[in-house]
Amino acid sequence: MEFSICIDISKCTACRACQVACKSWNKLKAEQTENKGSHENPPDLSANSWNRIVFMETRLLNGAIDWSFFNDRCHHCEDAPCMYAADSVPGAIITDDTGAVIYTEKTSQLDYDSILSECPFDIPRLDEKTNRIYKCNMCIDRITNGLKPACVTACSTSTLNFGTKKDMLKLAYDRIKALGRDANLYPGEEYNTFWVLPENQDRYPITKKEQNKPYRIARKTFLKQLSKKLIGYAMPV
Amino acid sequence: MTNHWIDIKNSDYILAMGSNPVKNHPISFKWVQKAIENGAVVISVDPRYTRTSRKSHIYAPLRSGTDIAFLGGMIKYILDKHLYFEEYVREYTNASFLINPDIQLPGEKKGVFSGLEAVKTKEGYVDGKYDKSTWSYQKDDAGVIKKDKTLQDPNCVFQLLKKHYSRYTPEMVTSITGTPKDSLIKVYSTYAESGASNKSGTVLYAMGWTQHTVGTQNIRAMSIIQLLLGNMGMAGGGVNALRGESNVQGSTDHCLLFHILPGYLKTPKASQQTFRTYNNENTPESSDPLSANWWANYPKYSASLIREFYGKDVPLDEAYHYLPKLDDGVDYSWLTIFDQLYQKKFTGFFSWGQNPACSGANANKSREALTQLDWLVTVNLFDNETGSFWRGPGMNPKKIKTEVLMLPCAAFFEKEGSITNSGRWMQWRYKAVSPPGEAMPDADIINALYIRVKKLYEKEPGAFADPILKLRWEYGPKNADGDVTHIDPHMVAKEINGYFLEDKIIKGRLYSKGSLVPNFTFLRDDGSTSSGNWLYCNSYTEDGNMAARRNNKDRSGIGLFPGWSWCWPLNRRILYNRASVNLEGNPWAPDKPVISWHRNVWKGDVPDGGWPPLSAGAKSRYPFIMQAEGHGHVFGPGLKDGPFPEHYEPLESPLGRNPLSPQFVSPVIKRWDRDKTLKNVNKRAKNNNRYPLVCTTYRVAEHWQTGVMTRWQPWLVELEPGMFVEMSKELADIKNIKNGEKVRVTSARGTVDAIALVTVRWLPFKVDGKIIHQVGIPYHYGWVTTSERVYHSNDKKPEYFTFGDSANLVTPNIGDANTMIPESKVFMVDIIKL
Repeated sequence: MEFSICIDISKCTACRACQVACKSWNKLKAEQTENKGSHENPPDLSANSWNRIVFMETRLLNGAIDWSFFNDRCHHCEDAPCMYAADSVPGAIITDDTGAVIYTEKTSQLDYDSILSECPFDIPRLDEKTNRIYKCNMCIDRITNGLKPACVTACSTSTLNFGTKKDMLKLAYDRIKALGRDANLYPGEEYNTFWVLPENQDRYPITKKEQNKPYRIARKTFLKQLSKKLIGYAMPV
Repeated sequence: MTNHWIDIKNSDYILAMGSNPVKNHPISFKWVQKAIENGAVVISVDPRYTRTSRKSHIYAPLRSGTDIAFLGGMIKYILDKHLYFEEYVREYTNASFLINPDIQLPGEKKGVFSGLEAVKTKEGYVDGKYDKSTWSYQKDDAGVIKKDKTLQDPNCVFQLLKKHYSRYTPEMVTSITGTPKDSLIKVYSTYAESGASNKSGTVLYAMGWTQHTVGTQNIRAMSIIQLLLGNMGMAGGGVNALRGESNVQGSTDHCLLFHILPGYLKTPKASQQTFRTYNNENTPESSDPLSANWWANYPKYSASLIREFYGKDVPLDEAYHYLPKLDDGVDYSWLTIFDQLYQKKFTGFFSWGQNPACSGANANKSREALTQLDWLVTVNLFDNETGSFWRGPGMNPKKIKTEVLMLPCAAFFEKEGSITNSGRWMQWRYKAVSPPGEAMPDADIINALYIRVKKLYEKEPGAFADPILKLRWEYGPKNADGDVTHIDPHMVAKEINGYFLEDKIIKGRLYSKGSLVPNFTFLRDDGSTSSGNWLYCNSYTEDGNMAARRNNKDRSGIGLFPGWSWCWPLNRRILYNRASVNLEGNPWAPDKPVISWHRNVWKGDVPDGGWPPLSAGAKSRYPFIMQAEGHGHVFGPGLKDGPFPEHYEPLESPLGRNPLSPQFVSPVIKRWDRDKTLKNVNKRAKNNNRYPLVCTTYRVAEHWQTGVMTRWQPWLVELEPGMFVEMSKELADIKNIKNGEKVRVTSARGTVDAIALVTVRWLPFKVDGKIIHQVGIPYHYGWVTTSERVYHSNDKKPEYFTFGDSANLVTPNIGDANTMIPESKVFMVDIIKL
């Protein structure tokens, strides 16, 4: 069963329960941080911080304030470039029926820089002590046991939602319709974590690098995509 | 809360003012979000653009400490445009009541009400006290209040209200609050739409309204608006205090404060030497046959309380004599306690579940006061700035004689019991894990203390030992000596509910001695019943522990969930719900009825009394049963500082004058700064260049109170690691401060270091023709968890350090005229770049 997380940014209050819940379930250590003139912390994703709320505030020309929150985390690409970049170490980066992209202990055998450079969203982080690479694993241990990811469970405003990809896409498009105007799906359907953005993407502190770089798609990915297009969007059971 | 958390979803208009629910009550927003999805309009009024503002449809800024001006302007707007709910105002509020013609209002009396006895100064009156005799109702020969239901009599409350707020023009309000006029009108016109009979509006407020010298009157102003718009008693209406602590409602209900006993009974005064006098002076009378005057039952509740304390064998009069008495006219509130301690008026102190070195206003004074103690017992989960005060910043341990004893206690998940949330729900909780080490539940610590004190009195007879020796103590299993071995929370809960102390036949049914009282209508003033808190009578009955109920069915359609936990009083989920229906008993808002009169019975929520609706005539009762007159108080004659809210400047104001009147600050607040002997510790910054910036305090979601529990929690420290001061870009430019730089906040009383958080979300205010800058600081930090302090080998060291000390090092020790809650939300500071 392919699952997805749908993040409805229109409902996010930036309470950051998702950050704490992630650390709590995954037993991730805290970091010694400083206030650098923002409520945003920790300052970046790390081996111990797999999701975080990023803030962006601007005063518009008409005097109105635009204060946006974005929950940054792994997008769980259906065809994860990082996975293909990790071909040399079988089992280091894997995906399964759930749609989650999983980094195993074998990531310590990978070249971190090449994995990072393949990620369009600047997500994977290295634990320099163990050389292992970490990022959100969609709480694979929870979702394969009938639970929702820890962050989704902790979210009180229904910003974070978890379910089958079909249901989550429906939820996303229903919300986009309800919000109207510039509301859009980010980054797209080919991901298993996607965002409902009420405004244009440039209004959010989204990290995207080398957006113009053409996707380097492996042959089997191409075939997979092609087959999907041919048979339509069938849900694996 | 008059209503409850889930009920927010029923609102059509939600005003978040004096609160920042998104940040400080995050779960509340789940229900606000549901209201938004149902089409509700959310309004945020706050000095800075907050996360709540971000989630609101309308935002309006105001300078801290000017809420009464803002709300007074709304009252005027509602009256001028005839947007009030006329039938509700006429029938359910005291708007039609005629007032003593001798009353004078601030507009005709230089900013004060009639009856003030005070000292005149350049700033107006100070050290005042009101003789309230002119704030009275006119009564007919039968003692019933005279009314003019046409609301036209010049001495009726409605006309006086109109006259009083005629001065609060949009221009005047804007010049006081700094709110742009168009934002002001937008808020007024939108919120006033809730005056439609089938619409409801709610207000979510918190410490942003209470922590002012005019805090009580802030809430009064909103209560008047809610009555004018017919929002009290309605689903999605009410006046809703978002309490700052999970069980602060419970602690207030059970008398944590000095002036009340459990169930809001009054603490006896020294002049009330007999139980009869005490009851007589506290039991209101009404000559109006339609007024339920619920507090007429006072003697039943006080007798039952005394029975719980001292049992059946001690006569009521004697047991009353054992209760501690307050000296008449003396205030025993927090600020006074620390002032008394500073002056060494007492020498021992239990600091129980609190951290006064950080939590009280003017913390330098509190910290200095602690040095006067011979002994200090701190009961807490962690060491804190109070327990370690003797080695804090600026302290010389060699010169401090205080013996400090630390008693570790159990956290909430390490013991069983109940908590009462903001919505008055008493919810049972279970023990999840055992407390670590020697830590014990607080109740067991109290039990051990009681046994030791009692044994000492038995061994060495002291003065007035009976109040201790004769105390009933039926709170757990007993050993061979008759001492309670450990506290059983179920036994405590049953004592709070109350028992029949003798067989009683009521309405033909036998209630046997030793059985639990079904509810407070069964309590008696003859000593035949006990109840530790009449409001909670019905919470633990022969049917079981009501607080432990977990039935999540809701047939009400408005989210009452009557089978989930238990709610005081009598499981009534929405207070004053008899005002949610018209005179015939039909709901004003038929699509969200709270109660309705159907075939001679009330359907829906537990009604505020089972009497038929008012159209039934003599058998009915007015809806506001806790007021002696049965009507909602548009005119509030009971407070110390006036029957209508009036704008006064905060004690520390950026202005040299009150734009509204010659009366600068409230004339009846206790002015510690005027005490010449302690001038150096009770400092006030007058309008001057040394402290030109308005400062306020607030909380963040990630920390709790003074941070005693959260500053040791690595994940929370990671999110909000330390003290910051939020300021506008405009101010930062003037001060040449860059975002993220370290600065020092200074006030007349102290300093605290912070990181500058420069933001576009705060704009300077244009007030009384001047540009005023405001800044804000959070209150959760303290030196104990910082990296700069010295850690000895046996000191617990936090895994991750916090930065900065308490915001209260700069706040003023000045209290609200009625409650003595400190004015922590507005005072004057300067900021220096370090």
